[in-house]
Amino acid sequence: MKELNPLLHSQLRLAVMSILMNVEEADFVYLREKTESTAGNLSVQLDKLSSAGYISVEKGFVGKKTRTTCQITEEGRKAFEDYVDALKQYINLQ
Amino acid sequence: MEERKITEFESIEIITSMISRTKDRLVKGSGNILLMWGYLIVAVTALIWVLLVTTHNAAYNWFWFLIWIIGGIATPIMAKKQRVETGTKSYTDRLSSQIWSIVGYAAIASAFLCLGFLLFGGKDAWSMMFALALVIVPMAEIMQGLVIREKCLITGGSIGLLLGLFTLCCIAAHVKLVATWFMPMFIIAFAAMMIIPGHILNHKANRK
Repeated sequence: MKELNPLLHSQLRLAVMSILMNVEEADFVYLREKTESTAGNLSVQLDKLSSAGYISVEKGFVGKKTRTTCQITEEGRKAFEDYVDALKQYINLQ
Repeated sequence: MEERKITEFESIEIITSMISRTKDRLVKGSGNILLMWGYLIVAVTALIWVLLVTTHNAAYNWFWFLIWIIGGIATPIMAKKQRVETGTKSYTDRLSSQIWSIVGYAAIASAFLCLGFLLFGGKDAWSMMFALALVIVPMAEIMQGLVIREKCLITGGSIGLLLGLFTLCCIAAHVKLVATWFMPMFIIAFAAMMIIPGHILNHKANRK
């Protein structure tokens, strides 16, 4: 049986990945609102996902404000699909 | 939401919950670009109509290019602003944007072709631009309506398409598109295609 990817098997990171699987790109504010998380926590989890190569993070400016945009990578998409496959197996066993 | 380990069933709940939160097809200001184009086309058409009827000077037809200049500049600015405000870009947004880009490129190509006919052949082919406006634009609108499942876009587009097919029949039958009746029809078509659906979309988004 496949093992659940520990990087995805956590509440906030899984929420972020689920959102990014469904949109082409999302900014930090959007992700914070949809996941109902704190900015600090979200920032840490985005760094972890980015370091694993699951998402790409782009920092830009809109006027004088910074805007951080996230996109899922091919590697992230594959990891998410594998995670869902493994999840199906676990649920079928229970 | 915090960072903690979860059970397999909680994972499923998180995934389904997040998917449903990204499913909002309409966001505040969804109809703004449609409204900008609708009011711009209606205003420029009304201006040219009044000038043609009062002066009978065909040179005022060059004012049609105001639509492409103003609309071409305003659209990317408004689209970027909307994307920043909503904080996301969906795959549907990209599809809609590509559909409308095709309409834009078709319009630019048609304008150059008509200009070529005029400069090199001395032939007036500008009526083709009306047919384009009332066939390709409604087709794009109907497609967008089907993609985002909005009846007002499908209905508005269908009215425009019907008037576009009528225009094509007039051109094929050599019926002259006279300003006195054609311009009001053009205004009605764009009000039905863009202004009314634009307001409906904004109203729906605000109600949400």
